[in-house]
Amino acid sequence: MSEPFEPKIVAFVCTYCTYAGADLAGTSRLKYAPNVRIIRLPCTGRISPMFILKALQKGADGVLVSGCHPGDCHFNHGNYHARRRWTVFRSLLEFTGIPQDRVKFSWISAAEGSKFAELINSVTEDFRKLGPFDQYKKLIKETETAATF
Amino acid sequence: MSTQETYKTKVKELLSSGKVKMVIGYKAGTTADRRRPHFMRTPEEVDQLVLDSACITNLSGYLLSEGLLSDGKEIAVFLKPDGIRSINILAAEAQLQSNQVVVLGFDINGSEISALQGERASDFQALTSSSNEARLHKQQHPESARLEQMTPAERFAYWEDAFSRCIKCYACRQACPMCYCRRCIVDNNQPQWVNTSSHTLGNFEWNIVRAFHLAGRCVECGNCGRACPVNIPLGLLNMKMTDEVLQSFNHYPGVSETQEPVLASFKKNDSETFIL
Amino acid sequence: MAKIGVFVCHCGENIAGKIDCKQLTAAMEQHPGVAVAFDYKYFCADPGQESVKKAIRDNNLTGVVMAACSPRMHEATFRKACAEAGLNPYLCEIANIREQCSWVHTDGEQATQKAVEITRSMVEKVKLNNNLQPIEVPVTRKALVIGGGIAGIQAALDIANAGREVVLVEREASLGGHMSQLSETFPTLDCSQCIMTPRMVEAAQHPKIKVLTYAEVESVDGYIGNFKVKVRMKSRFVDMHTCTGCGDCIIKCPIKKIPSEFDCAIGKRTAIYTPFAQAVPNTPVIDKANCTYFKTGKCKICAKICELNAINFDMQDEIIDFEIGAIVVATGFQVQDNSVYGEYGYGKYKDVINGLQFERFASASGPTAGKILRPSDGKEPETVVFIQCAGSRDAAKGVRYCSKICCMYTAKHAMLYAHKVHTGKAHIFYMDIRAAGKGYDEFTRRGIEEDETSYLRGRVSKVWEENGKLMVRGVDTLLGKPVVIAADMVVLATAMVPQPDAKDFAKVIGIGYDEYGFYNEAHLKLRPVESSTAGIFLAGACQSPKDIPDSVSQASAAASKVLALFSKEKLEREPVVATNNEATCAGCWGCVLACPYNAIDRKDIVDRSGKLIKRVASVNPGLCQGCGTCVTFCRSHSLDLAGFTEKQIFAEVMGL
Repeated sequence: MSEPFEPKIVAFVCTYCTYAGADLAGTSRLKYAPNVRIIRLPCTGRISPMFILKALQKGADGVLVSGCHPGDCHFNHGNYHARRRWTVFRSLLEFTGIPQDRVKFSWISAAEGSKFAELINSVTEDFRKLGPFDQYKKLIKETETAATF
Repeated sequence: MSTQETYKTKVKELLSSGKVKMVIGYKAGTTADRRRPHFMRTPEEVDQLVLDSACITNLSGYLLSEGLLSDGKEIAVFLKPDGIRSINILAAEAQLQSNQVVVLGFDINGSEISALQGERASDFQALTSSSNEARLHKQQHPESARLEQMTPAERFAYWEDAFSRCIKCYACRQACPMCYCRRCIVDNNQPQWVNTSSHTLGNFEWNIVRAFHLAGRCVECGNCGRACPVNIPLGLLNMKMTDEVLQSFNHYPGVSETQEPVLASFKKNDSETFIL
Repeated sequence: MAKIGVFVCHCGENIAGKIDCKQLTAAMEQHPGVAVAFDYKYFCADPGQESVKKAIRDNNLTGVVMAACSPRMHEATFRKACAEAGLNPYLCEIANIREQCSWVHTDGEQATQKAVEITRSMVEKVKLNNNLQPIEVPVTRKALVIGGGIAGIQAALDIANAGREVVLVEREASLGGHMSQLSETFPTLDCSQCIMTPRMVEAAQHPKIKVLTYAEVESVDGYIGNFKVKVRMKSRFVDMHTCTGCGDCIIKCPIKKIPSEFDCAIGKRTAIYTPFAQAVPNTPVIDKANCTYFKTGKCKICAKICELNAINFDMQDEIIDFEIGAIVVATGFQVQDNSVYGEYGYGKYKDVINGLQFERFASASGPTAGKILRPSDGKEPETVVFIQCAGSRDAAKGVRYCSKICCMYTAKHAMLYAHKVHTGKAHIFYMDIRAAGKGYDEFTRRGIEEDETSYLRGRVSKVWEENGKLMVRGVDTLLGKPVVIAADMVVLATAMVPQPDAKDFAKVIGIGYDEYGFYNEAHLKLRPVESSTAGIFLAGACQSPKDIPDSVSQASAAASKVLALFSKEKLEREPVVATNNEATCAGCWGCVLACPYNAIDRKDIVDRSGKLIKRVASVNPGLCQGCGTCVTFCRSHSLDLAGFTEKQIFAEVMGL
């Protein structure tokens, strides 16, 4: 029996809400799964779909994107713009066979340390169930193989 | 008089009167069912003009050739309704001024063609708005419908097969009126967001990014798919994006030149069913 | 070549208790580009900081990664230490291995592995960090206050009293705004004119305040600290410098029946007029549309009567330019047009009036000298019905929001009426009594208990005329019964709405507004007096419905923001701002639309002969707040964000 699969998760978060929420989870000593790696951006408005693709290329089995709740954006509108992008982008991913389940979006405020911890646990469990993103990993592997002539 | 002949007379008049400096239309192509673009500067060149149901290419992109519009002179161009919508988008994105473009409108119904009345893109507002309604109720492309029935893994396999053929020739980009960037993201290697090697992963990334950049801007003219030498059904991706912006934001690309770009604008009450 | 220093902090046991700091340090030592890595118990303490500084100097480091607590905790500390060692502070980044690693994970091995990845990713980012310099913006220490009501006057006085120059622009012929129209003010019932007029005079006479009345802001260009403002002085046809305000011209003007705007059409005015007797300045203006001379070319009685020859029919509008450092927008509100409520009979029955008209009746300096009289026959009304929420909280015909002041002024109106007409009876139809404010609830209670105001909880469905009375049919929901009251006068507590041109004006000055046209604050909770445009502040009812104390508080808050801005000659800003690659920019202006701060301009690129080559986006670092929304929008990736560049984030992701 092999060890249970541990997914690699990359999270892109805004510094004002979700990053602060993650800090609060820390200062509150809440415990959550260690699978997530956080990349801090000033605002969800800065989170480009390219980041998500690169995280997948780097071998992520799941991606989380998170920022301030609507109306709470430090920069007023960044999250509204982001929400439109995500709506379109996740539909595009789904259509190309990159399951929507692998890219998750959330609003987590600076006060929601416990929501952050719970969310990380639940998405880690979700990604664990999905298993490794083998189809994509096959393509990554292909890029690493030297061409033969 | 046939539509083609009526237009020939009109084009000659436009050129001889000096109203426009050039007319962009169609002429015979290498095979009987293909047409190639025809750039007419003199009335004599108009004789070669062909306007029939094979004239399906969206010619609007040619207007953006470097320096063509910079002298402020007017250019006339043959456009179907999709091409007219392209003009609106290009005007909205400040790539051209619509009062520099004389629209020679026509539409194709089966093997018949008909002239569309109007001179400026804005004259066709009723048409572009009504096509919004029509698009909403349009039956889904059978191939799209088939794809949507599949499991994600099956869809992935479908696109893996399609994209594995991509040779990164960028003909899709060249053919697309909306791909007017001076430097495409794929040509930016600092950083190299999109792998330029034509391995399948890079091809996935390239085609996803292109479809994303066209979301809410594509008029579904089909230029990209026709240009693809390896027959990747690129149009399906763009159709999906149009479905999405229509359903989620009630945005139909190119209705007018005052329309705000869908991804540079927002509504506070945009739906967000998927956010945890 | 990158020479990165990685410093792994134990934070006592906080990090070292979970993460194997030695292992992390060893892993970092092996990482390409890392010149030095060591761990220490507390890097934030003095010896820790000193060791970092020494390592920077000894190894000529090109970047520093502190594997420590959250950047929200000590980023500033460590960046300062780097700067002291001669390293640009923006070459220092934090790998957060405490809040987001050691504190939240139970398994030491996994936590250590995660810490390695976090730190490694940050090393990759730092390799691509650039030297950044704080952005310095010069500040012109002169403020523009737009609107001469109580909010504008308060802001102007506060700024001027701190010694800074102010230009106060008012579009009407006199300072004063709505407050000067009011009779008494709640909850103290002191006379509005008595407290307002001295403020108007003080502003007008203040050596630091330049008051421009009958003037409008024509355009605002530039950015925080450096606005260029054009003000249009509308021609009043009376020379401000010559006129003494004797008022002879007003007395002699033959056109006397123009409905007075100030008196809400209850009183009349002449064609040459001052809005009200206490106007500041008291120089009259000629109402061109109604003046006989302008209409027929004959009359000029005012010019003949004026001994000082102050009347000048040829006067033209004048544009004055100002260099301004900060702007306070205090453009106020309007009352909603009640004629949309056909069922209340406003505009149909003379004796149905709105609250502001009631103020003019009650005002000692008003057209009735403070007597409450029916507009139809000039008789004292025996019964008055007040209808609250006539427009507010009504999505169907009015506005969805609460106008905030109506509960209080209606209570006041009923009270004033009771004081003036001792036998009179006042009924108030209300939805809720919202009396939150110092002394407010006590005030409404006093109206009920001492002045016997009758409150009926319910809506009015119809007002009609019958036998010389206004019949008001409503419902008392507490009794559960319909009510019909025969009234002599009906007063509608009309909704407060934005100025009709509020949205257009927002575009002129470059600030945001909500669906109604109220101006948007930068943050509803934390930055309520700043607009989203740096250097432009909000005061009073232009932002949302407000009463006088709230308007004055916000005005003073805005003034303090202005003064804080003016406290230095130069403004220093974090250099996290967007930049544009003009060579690759396609000029599609998506970024211009997406930017929440109007920080992106269109810039012409011309050749040597001045011929336009192309137009590109240009980010104004004075306005940019560094959110990066434009960067993500940019399809050609021409835009980038300093501190979070495309290259940096790419490296960070690929370094994981």
